[in-house]
Amino acid sequence: MTDEQTESASRPAGRVRGRIATAVGVVGELLITAGVLLALFVVYSLWWTNVMADREARKQADHVRESWARGPSGPGALDTKDGIGFLHVPAMLGGGEVLVKPGTGGDVLNEGVAGYYRRPVKSAMPWDKQGNVTLAAHRDGHGARFHNIHKIKDGDAVVFETRDTWYVYKVFKELRQTSRFNVKVLDPVPRESGKTKPGRYLTLTTCTPVYTSDYRFVVWAELVRTEKVDARRTPPKELRD
Amino acid sequence: MYVWIWRHLPGNAWVKSLISLALVLGVVYVLFQYVFPWAEPLLPFNDVTVDDSLPTPATEWR
Repeated sequence: MTDEQTESASRPAGRVRGRIATAVGVVGELLITAGVLLALFVVYSLWWTNVMADREARKQADHVRESWARGPSGPGALDTKDGIGFLHVPAMLGGGEVLVKPGTGGDVLNEGVAGYYRRPVKSAMPWDKQGNVTLAAHRDGHGARFHNIHKIKDGDAVVFETRDTWYVYKVFKELRQTSRFNVKVLDPVPRESGKTKPGRYLTLTTCTPVYTSDYRFVVWAELVRTEKVDARRTPPKELRD
Repeated sequence: MYVWIWRHLPGNAWVKSLISLALVLGVVYVLFQYVFPWAEPLLPFNDVTVDDSLPTPATEWR
């Protein structure tokens, strides 16, 4: 009763209180809106970009497979722009495969593929006599191809499939966390891996910890053998079990 | 803010609900199609490569 009395008695005070209530209400709605926006961004990053990238990657992979089936076999007839081959890493990808394309820019990697480095250190090709094949792909979102990179252990197989050859690598070193400026990991002879002599190496890089990109995760493998692709594209034994 | 929009939508509660739903879907579409793809490279969540150069203003101007 006293409340009603004071409110009717002092109009200006009531109006001020009403205005404050409105302002608080608007601020509250803005905060809720910001929260919903951030939640939507998470949904976009971790789900929608994967949907889009999976669709795009499948299309591009089919395109490469078709052109391999069509094209004449023989060296030098490789179309590098569409992709140089497929990466198989059972420990990380299960039975999946990742198309490898030139470049590590967002426009390439966002298509759900892996890219080989063109800068700051130019990647070698798997068929080169020696050098370091350096690859990057997303840890989360945009296909998240290297999401399970932490499951790779020493001795695991990494197989690079080109039109005519299976290149079978064996993992010998993981660098679980390094600076994002550490471009030495891409060197033809990556000394941080313990190697001192030129050889045929393969380097996988992605960001770490999961969902952020404060550091980089690096995995090194070394070529153990190559296998000619047969007419039925029988995979090497590393991919069969 | 949202109460204000609700009051200014035409029709009864059902029509208002339908229009609201359409508006929400439209906003989500614009966000997913245009705003988030634009904002994503500006946020430091998904850089996966090692690189010795920071994206300084000088390199962006070029």
